[in-house]
Amino acid sequence: MSGSKPDILWSPHHVDRYVICDSELSLYRIGSIGSAERKAGTLPLSEETAATLLAINSDTPYMKCVAWYPKHEPECLLAVGQANGRVVLTSLGQSPNSKCKELMGKEFVPKHARQCNTLAWNPWDSNWLAAGLDKHRADFSVLIWDISSKYAPDVSVPMEKIRLSSGDTDSGLVVTKPLYELGQNDACLSLCWLPRDQKLLLAGMHRNLAIFDLRNTSQKTFVNTKAIQGVTVDPHFHERVASFFEGQVAIWDLRKFEKPVLTLTEQPKPLTKVAWCPTRTGLLATLTRDSNVIRLYDMQHAPTPIGDETEPTIIERSVQPCSDNSVISSFAWHPSAQNRMVVVSPNRAMTDFTVFERISLAWGSTTSLMWACGRHLYECTEGAAERDRDIATKMRQRAQNGYGHDTVQVWRNHLLAGGDDPQLKSLWYTLYFMKQYTEDLAQKQQGSKQSLIYSGIKNIVKSSSGTTENRRCWRGSDRQTDVARYNSEERSLALQLCGWIGRGPEVDVEPFLKSLEQEGEWERAAAVALFNLDIRRAIQILNRGASSEKGDLNLNVVAMALSGYTDEKNSLWREMCSSLRLQLKKPYLCVMFAFLTSEPGAYDGVLYESSVAVRDRVAFACMFLNDTQLPRYIDKLTNEMKEAGNLEGILLTGLTKDGVDLMESYVDHTGDVQTASFCLLMGSPGEVVKDTRVQCWIENYRNLLDAWRFWHKRAEFDIHRSKLDPSSKPLAQVFVSCNFCGKSISYSCSAIPHQGRGFSQYGVSGSPTKSKVTSCPGCRKPLPRCALCLMNMGTPVSSCPGSGKMDEKVDLTRDKKLAQFHNWFTWCHNCRHGGHAGHMLSWFRDHSECPVSACTCKCMQLDTTGNLVPSDSS
Amino acid sequence: MFVARSIAADHRDLIHDVSYDFHGRRMATCSSDQSVKVWDKSDDGEWHCTASWKTHSGSVWRVTWAHPEFGQVLASCSFDRTAAVWEEIVGESNDKQRGLSHWIKRTTLVDSRTSVTDVKFAPKHMGLMLTTCSADGVVRIYEAPDVMNLSQWSLQHEISCKLSCSCISWNPSSSRAHPPMFAVGSDDNVTYTGKVQIFEYNENTRKYAKAETLMTVTDPVHDVSFAPNLGRSFHVLAIATKDVRIFKLVPLRRETTTTSGPTKFEVQVMAQFDNHNSQVWRVSWNITSTLLASSGDDGCVRLWKANYMDNWKCTGILRGDGTPVNGTSGQAGAANTTGPSGTLASQAAAGGAVSAGRPKAQLMPG
Repeated sequence: MSGSKPDILWSPHHVDRYVICDSELSLYRIGSIGSAERKAGTLPLSEETAATLLAINSDTPYMKCVAWYPKHEPECLLAVGQANGRVVLTSLGQSPNSKCKELMGKEFVPKHARQCNTLAWNPWDSNWLAAGLDKHRADFSVLIWDISSKYAPDVSVPMEKIRLSSGDTDSGLVVTKPLYELGQNDACLSLCWLPRDQKLLLAGMHRNLAIFDLRNTSQKTFVNTKAIQGVTVDPHFHERVASFFEGQVAIWDLRKFEKPVLTLTEQPKPLTKVAWCPTRTGLLATLTRDSNVIRLYDMQHAPTPIGDETEPTIIERSVQPCSDNSVISSFAWHPSAQNRMVVVSPNRAMTDFTVFERISLAWGSTTSLMWACGRHLYECTEGAAERDRDIATKMRQRAQNGYGHDTVQVWRNHLLAGGDDPQLKSLWYTLYFMKQYTEDLAQKQQGSKQSLIYSGIKNIVKSSSGTTENRRCWRGSDRQTDVARYNSEERSLALQLCGWIGRGPEVDVEPFLKSLEQEGEWERAAAVALFNLDIRRAIQILNRGASSEKGDLNLNVVAMALSGYTDEKNSLWREMCSSLRLQLKKPYLCVMFAFLTSEPGAYDGVLYESSVAVRDRVAFACMFLNDTQLPRYIDKLTNEMKEAGNLEGILLTGLTKDGVDLMESYVDHTGDVQTASFCLLMGSPGEVVKDTRVQCWIENYRNLLDAWRFWHKRAEFDIHRSKLDPSSKPLAQVFVSCNFCGKSISYSCSAIPHQGRGFSQYGVSGSPTKSKVTSCPGCRKPLPRCALCLMNMGTPVSSCPGSGKMDEKVDLTRDKKLAQFHNWFTWCHNCRHGGHAGHMLSWFRDHSECPVSACTCKCMQLDTTGNLVPSDSS
Repeated sequence: MFVARSIAADHRDLIHDVSYDFHGRRMATCSSDQSVKVWDKSDDGEWHCTASWKTHSGSVWRVTWAHPEFGQVLASCSFDRTAAVWEEIVGESNDKQRGLSHWIKRTTLVDSRTSVTDVKFAPKHMGLMLTTCSADGVVRIYEAPDVMNLSQWSLQHEISCKLSCSCISWNPSSSRAHPPMFAVGSDDNVTYTGKVQIFEYNENTRKYAKAETLMTVTDPVHDVSFAPNLGRSFHVLAIATKDVRIFKLVPLRRETTTTSGPTKFEVQVMAQFDNHNSQVWRVSWNITSTLLASSGDDGCVRLWKANYMDNWKCTGILRGDGTPVNGTSGQAGAANTTGPSGTLASQAAAGGAVSAGRPKAQLMPG
């Protein structure tokens, strides 16, 4: 501790006190920042903690080393080793009449003055203080002082020395006779007492590490090494000692003291401090000179079978305690708080700091994250409702809402999904229209077109034939437009799919405009009206929009601009509109002017405005692009949609292979296999569902539902799926055969050749023949008996003990009763005993063992998953 | 927004691994105290320790669950050079009432000569298979041919990786289009080479062959994790090394149907974050692989999420002890980061800036 560089020491008993020593001793108390905030002179150590200066002691100049008295009382007693080899007892912040008064100021003086390098209190006999000194000829370098000893003039000490030492202190406080003198003709650089025995002292001497046994001072064990600085015993593993030399740390095992068991990777700069973590096994912190990081070595030691040389694994880490990258002068572990340390910089700036353990973490299936830090576990779950929640949470929520299951009002599924996703909205409306017009065509017996609808607008317009071109007038004016509008049967089908026109032969957008107005989509409505060449209606819509609640008054301005429309090529209106329209923020307003100002047939301003819904752009294209332009545009848009995985594009691709490609891209982006599964199950039972990718999404979705324990939802999904894809129906899972004739006892199964679903019915279902249900239909031998009521299976349950009234109510109707679950065959797969399901359930409510005598099978506990409750039981 | 709460773990030493079962209702932890604990979630959402037993004679590095269709089965691996398989059995009559379960050791796998650093079950469609990797650089794949008898495991494959292995991850894809595949990470810090190797099963040779080495990852790797595939057309691999890295492996379509060589991949780096500003220890994907959690030496857990455009960003930071990250330390961490993720770091700091007064750590999306 060279004067300028501060060192730090924690109080061994006060968890909130520490001492900084450089040229003087300063005692600090550490506290939470909240309580210390108001007091002046507190120093923030971290975000939560601050230190308060309690006392300063500058009585002891030339400090070289300091050691804190290890016992509780007297508190704040410190031994200071000085440059002249003297050891002085001093204290900080003590009341003058405290117990250690007589100890205070006591000095222990060696025969020859030389630097005191290290001090160590004996942790058992706290009167013993060991001091390590530099070499002085043949003198001893390790002196063990007894702090309770009184001053006794010693004959061996020359008189002048005593006079010299007593000159500046009160007599009676100077002790010159050490209890033990060790390490003759050597220097001592570091010391520590060994926890193995109170009389064992480990010393880092000039060129060796030595263990002195005070029971026999003539004996010492030693090993020659250079690593003699900073010897320190692992508090958790008493045979393990660390010492260092220059940049290298050596780890010793005292049982095999011949050589270090381990040397850590050498650091380029010399080490200044090495300390074991007191709160955690095998964690060693090291600090090198002028460094801003503390290097930690995490030693995981193996079980050491005798004679087996296992090298411990070491995980090296470095931590940077100061956020401003400042150099660390010294550090000290907190004696009890886990992995906590305070570091001090050369200019005495202090930082309170906790070394975090390696955190391991895992996600659960329900968006909960668990992590382990040190010895503690933390669970973290996604909080309250939010728009941008994770898709896993969204899918769970949607599954619970029955998303995808509305097969009549298909568009409602987007509401079940939360109703806030424009892509899903578009998708489900598309599927709704597709379903609607397929049904229409089915009624009209137009089978050929029926399959076309689900193949999307891309294929519909390709098959287009007999397109007529007409030029219509602006509504309410006689003037002929030069805008060509194209019509064909396929084009109007496309318009229907886009939702612009309704069912039936007439081409009328009015109902669509009305619904848009109702939803407050004024700009969109106005644009649609305009595209249908009805400026007056568009202006009317905009006015209405401006005057509506929360209306945008700017719409009136737009309406004004619109009313000035002129089809003259070089008019000022046209010139200004085509330049100013780009400044309009709302895309639909922008495309309105784009339409009005563009040359006939060149509508790129409308067609490639990506903020406009795909269905509107497609509908526009179907009206105004000719037979060569239209497929090209649709193809281009389709590829764009496929690339982006935009569900609006399903309108174009339909549920074809193209649609699966698009969906693949969507799943790649979002992971939303739920929408993918439901969407592709909507269409006609075609080849699409057989696509391996689709099967893969369906399997993944089912797996998700299983992991969430949404078993009921999964079952519902399977039912839904089997309606559209009958091949997915699973075969019967269990067959029960008669003990005597070996034939299946299932009545229904014998009637309908094995088609599955059998197992819900054996023995109990009302078979058409209504023969005795208690016997095998094949050989008429009776079925086994229920282990509880001892009736042959097939006998309806009369009453279940323990589940009284509920059943009696249900008993009223005989048919219902027959179908009841309580009458089912059940048996334990382990012990093969069984009976009526109802009887069994009520038995196992109070018992854990099988009801059959002498059978100790714990039937109900065998299946852990069976004991889990579905999380979606409704 | 994520809310963290603490659970009294009661381990006597460092916890090295946490693992959820398939349903997320059970959890296993393992520790340096040589024990494994099993936790069950009660209906009120609280976790209760239902079993705790000494499993190994050294630190237990990892613990993992088998799919529940194989029963309640755990595997653990340890510094004591072994891996073990455990099965829950129905214990004494009053065990259930006391909320305790009983686990017995079904087998000990003793083939490794060094510390077994990771253990993972293969995806369930491959059957009951267990993989271990060890510090001597060997990956071993065991199979239980009879799922009713978990004491019989045969060593099917021994794959030498030439580098000390630290972690292993199976590609969870069950699609028939994807042959079984796993990634091995190495924490070797001596050789300068790619530290993540990807092996793929070859149907013809019935062996695993190296399909890819991620040559850009040259620093020690502490964890690898394949994202749940969920029917995507590509694979995503997260790597914990000196930073968080997310790789995208796009299988290239084979020219001919009967190629014997391994699948070729187009390897892309989707994201790379050095926000931890230190070694990253673990990475974990959520069930839809839309959220990635990482933990680093800075003592923080960070959450990453991709937007629709595949731009990954930090959506949350929590300190290891569950307290919020606020004020200087978070920003300091961000200020130190350099390179392309600088903007992300500042978002992360903003995400972490939460008022200190709250009793619980709360995270706002960044």
